[in-house]
Order: sequence, then structure tokens, then C-alpha cells
Amino acid sequence: MAERDDRLDRAIELLREPVSLRSDLEQRIMAEVEAAPPPRAWARPLWSALEWMRRGRPVTVSPLGGLALAAGVAAILVVGRWSVGPERGPAAAEDGASVVQFVIHAPAARSVSLVGDFNDWSQQATPMQEARGAGVWTVTLPLDPGRYRYAFLLDENTWVSDPSAPRALDDEFGPPSSVVTIGGS
Amino acid sequence: MSARRVLGWCCFLFVALATGELSAQEPRLVDRVPAAVRSQVDAVVDSARAAGLPAEALIDRALEGASKGADGQRILAAVRRLWLELSAARDALGSGSTAAEVVAGASALRAGATGGDLTHLRAQRPRQSLTVAAAVLADLVAVGVPIDTAVIAVLALAEDADDTEYIAFRRNVERDIARGASPVAALGVRLDAAAELLGTDRAPPSPRKP
Amino acid sequence: MGMRVEEGESDAALVRRTLAGDSDAFTGLVRRYQDRLGRYAVRMLGETADAEEALQDTFVRAYRSLARCDPERFGAWIYGILVNRCRTLGAQRARRRKLVVGDASAVERASVAHSEDREAWREAIEWALAQISPANREAFLLKHVEDLSYDEMTEVTGASVSALKMRVSRAREELRRLLAEQTHG
Repeated sequence: MAERDDRLDRAIELLREPVSLRSDLEQRIMAEVEAAPPPRAWARPLWSALEWMRRGRPVTVSPLGGLALAAGVAAILVVGRWSVGPERGPAAAEDGASVVQFVIHAPAARSVSLVGDFNDWSQQATPMQEARGAGVWTVTLPLDPGRYRYAFLLDENTWVSDPSAPRALDDEFGPPSSVVTIGGS
Repeated sequence: MSARRVLGWCCFLFVALATGELSAQEPRLVDRVPAAVRSQVDAVVDSARAAGLPAEALIDRALEGASKGADGQRILAAVRRLWLELSAARDALGSGSTAAEVVAGASALRAGATGGDLTHLRAQRPRQSLTVAAAVLADLVAVGVPIDTAVIAVLALAEDADDTEYIAFRRNVERDIARGASPVAALGVRLDAAAELLGTDRAPPSPRKP
Repeated sequence: MGMRVEEGESDAALVRRTLAGDSDAFTGLVRRYQDRLGRYAVRMLGETADAEEALQDTFVRAYRSLARCDPERFGAWIYGILVNRCRTLGAQRARRRKLVVGDASAVERASVAHSEDREAWREAIEWALAQISPANREAFLLKHVEDLSYDEMTEVTGASVSALKMRVSRAREELRRLLAEQTHG
């Protein structure tokens, strides 16, 4: 047998580690086992089948996660942060339209760029325009159907997500991103 | 080098390129993704192409990391993780899925949905695109709706809502949460309203596995 | 009501007691094999929920057809059932992984990938395993993770020893190459 190298050895060592399964697996298995016909020698299959039918079978119902609608619902842990900071702007138009306007209120910024999947995350490709000195920055882009991650870059050094848009669930790179989804086939 | 050997190498290169055995450099990553990990990121992107997965999404993720100044190992880990999610989403949604559906499906998996949930969604919505439905699922989780609840809501609307109605539903839930409603309560109220509007049976089509 | 399972009671003894009508004896077999079979299923299928389903199916099928088992060969026999269940589930759903959004610090740790970081290494191995063919993956896991002999693997998979050796060898080469690509630098 060829010599194992260190990486492969290490991979095997990790793969041999125990895995963690649901704690009630044994009970679930035995519940099905108890409900099954006993594995008697098949010399008398008809008798075994009759015995099994006389025993009856338990009915198991899977619990269904339901919706809690009452006003007294307990507070739910918020998975992502929903920013309502000072740069909040009107929602981007995205109801199936292929032309999307991005807006952010950033009165203190000297420059704002839109950076995202649609422009290869280029910090220079899509500068936004300030509307009449009001601190409201906008840009309009044509977008094909799909889901796009993006963020705003203020003054070439500060990343902000769009407080009016859904937040990307992963912050793998630190500064948060937002997502926009364009419908259509 | 003999002529025969040159011919041999040419054949090897031809076959290697034809079969994708040599990793091609993705030009957009050159000079942006740190050199130390670029070939590895290229390998993941190549692997996606070979597997028929949306390689663009992986390139975009790498470029996002590069633009945000992330270090090479972080970019590589993100790309690798996304590859796994895209593969899982495509398996769940079916090989005929569009790239946009697979990318949205991957977001749903990141949010905590299972492959089974996506398969159910496909079954409930066989003739319409799943891009928006899967995206809305992820977006609901992002604003605090528990994954189980989000799945139930998205499946409940799957047969009757079109993309516009899905987006309107999600926006209404977000608006209510921004006004102080709890995510589950907001979702419940909006789901009732949407169901009434669509004339749909509010009960989900099949229970989610515990 | 069945007897308690005595520690050290052999597989053959537990099989015989189960066939005699004592389903509690089967519990002993479940407990004895659950972890190992579970580990194989998780590594093969790549998703815990699928692995649990395969495991549950396997034990229930084993119970139902226990009369066909040679009590002295229970281990190899139940492995064979599991391998087939994993093939069926795998063909139906291909390789899937459930990735759950954990707390932000867990995502952060996973994202900061260094070749020495255990979590990043685990991700690299999972990814690499996903690349190789199911047949090669199956052979690799049975040989190097579950420590079966080639004779046992023949019994479990139905393939010849020479075919199995070739699959293991190919799996090692591919994994070695993929892990080297993913972890240098």
C-alpha cells in the first residue's frame, strides 16, 4: 500500500471522529421496530401476519411547527440586525421591474458608490448622484432577474448596507451587504 | 525534445484543456484576489463550471471579499462554502433549475432551510420560477422570522402567489416589524391577509420534518 | 417484557434472542452499531438529516429481515443494508449539505480559514469528499474510516476485491490532489 501523506492522514483522522445525531434516534427506531411484525422464521408467515394484525399499530404524528398568532407571542430572537440608522432612505423599487433605483440618505458623505454583484464589486464603476444637495444619493441600474448582493461605499472607505433592503445573512467579510431580488423567469 | 514528445505534450494539453483538467485563470480575479489563494479560488470556480453550477456567483463572492479588503484565506473559505451551498441547492431544486434559482436556493439554505424544503417548494410551484420564493424565505429569516415559520409561510403561498405578491408579502412583514411587531406575529397577520387575497388555503401543503 | 442486554453479549446471541421474540435484545444491537453506522452515513451522504433517515430505515429493515441474517455475520450484514440505503438516498437526492447559520462568532471562526484551523480543514475535507464519485467515496470511507477489510467490503458492497482496491486508490489520489490544492499557500 502506498504511503499516506500527512494531509490525507489528517483528513482520515477528522473523518473518524464521532458524529452527533439526534438524541431520540434510538427511541424512533425502536418505535418502528415495535410496530413491525416480529422477524420470526418464515416457516409460518401467515400466522406471524395474523399475530401482527391482532397487536395493532401505534399511530405516530410528526409535530408540526405552527404559527403563533396571538398578541402575547414571546419575543423572537432576531437573527440579523435591521438597521434603522441615520442613512435610511426610501425602499428600492424592485417589484419585478428590470430597472432598479438605489437610494441612500447620507448627508455627510462627499461621495457614494454603489458596489455589488452587478458591477463586479468595482468601487468606481457606479458612482451615485446627490439630488440637489439634499444628502440623498441615487442611481438607477437595469438588472436581469436574479438575486444580487450589494452595499454602499461612502467616501471610498466606509461600507454601509441599505437599511431599506433585506440584509445578506452572512457577514463573511465583516462589513454587511444587502440583497435585492428581481423577479421573472 | 523529439517531435514525438512534442506531439505527445500537445495531445496532453489538448485533452487536458478539453476535459478541464487544467485550471483556467478567471481574468476578473487577477490583480484583485490575493495571489496566495488565487489558484485555489480558480480551482473552486473551475470545479463549479465542470459541475454545471453558477460559477458567476462564486466569482462575485470572491470579488466582494476582495473589494472589502478581506484576506485571502477568508475569501477562499467563503467561496468554498458557497460552492457547497450551490451544489446542495441544485440537487434539491433539480438539475433543470436556472442559475438564479440555484443562487436563491443557496441563500435559503444559508438561512437554515433544508434541501427537503426546497424540493417541496419545487413540487408546489412546478411551472413558476423559484428565485423570488426562495429569496423571500432567506429575507424573512434575515429580519428575524424563525426558519420553520418562514418555510411554512413560503410554502403556503407557493401555489397561488406570483413573484410580485411574494415581494409585497415580504415588504409588508418587514414594514410591520420596523413598526414594532414581533416577526412571527407580523408574518402571521400578513400571511392571513395574503391567503385571503389569493383565495389560497392557508394551511401548508405538507408538514416539515421535525 | 424482554431480558436486559448483558454487556459483552455477542451480536449472534442478541440476534438469536431477537428472533426468539425479545425485541429488547434488538435494542442492544441498535446501541452497539448506531454510532458507527451513523458516522458512515453522515460522511457518505453529507447531511445529518439524511443520514438519520438512512440509519432509521436500515435498522428497521434489518429487524424485519433478521431471519435471513447469519447471526455470526450481523455486523457485515447490517453494513450492507446501510450501504444500499445510502446509495438509494444518495441517488435520489445527490449530495447535500445542510448549512445552518450559527452564531456570528462561529461563522467568523469558520471564515478565518488557515490550514491549521480545524474547522476550515473540516470544510475543506467535506468539499473534497463531495468532488469524488459516490462509488469511490463509499470504498474510501469503508476502508479508511470504518476499517473494514477488503473481504468484508466485498460482502458489504457486492464488488470484487480488485474493483474495491482500485476505487480506494483512486479516491486517495483524488483527495490527496484536492486537499493539496485547497490548503497550500
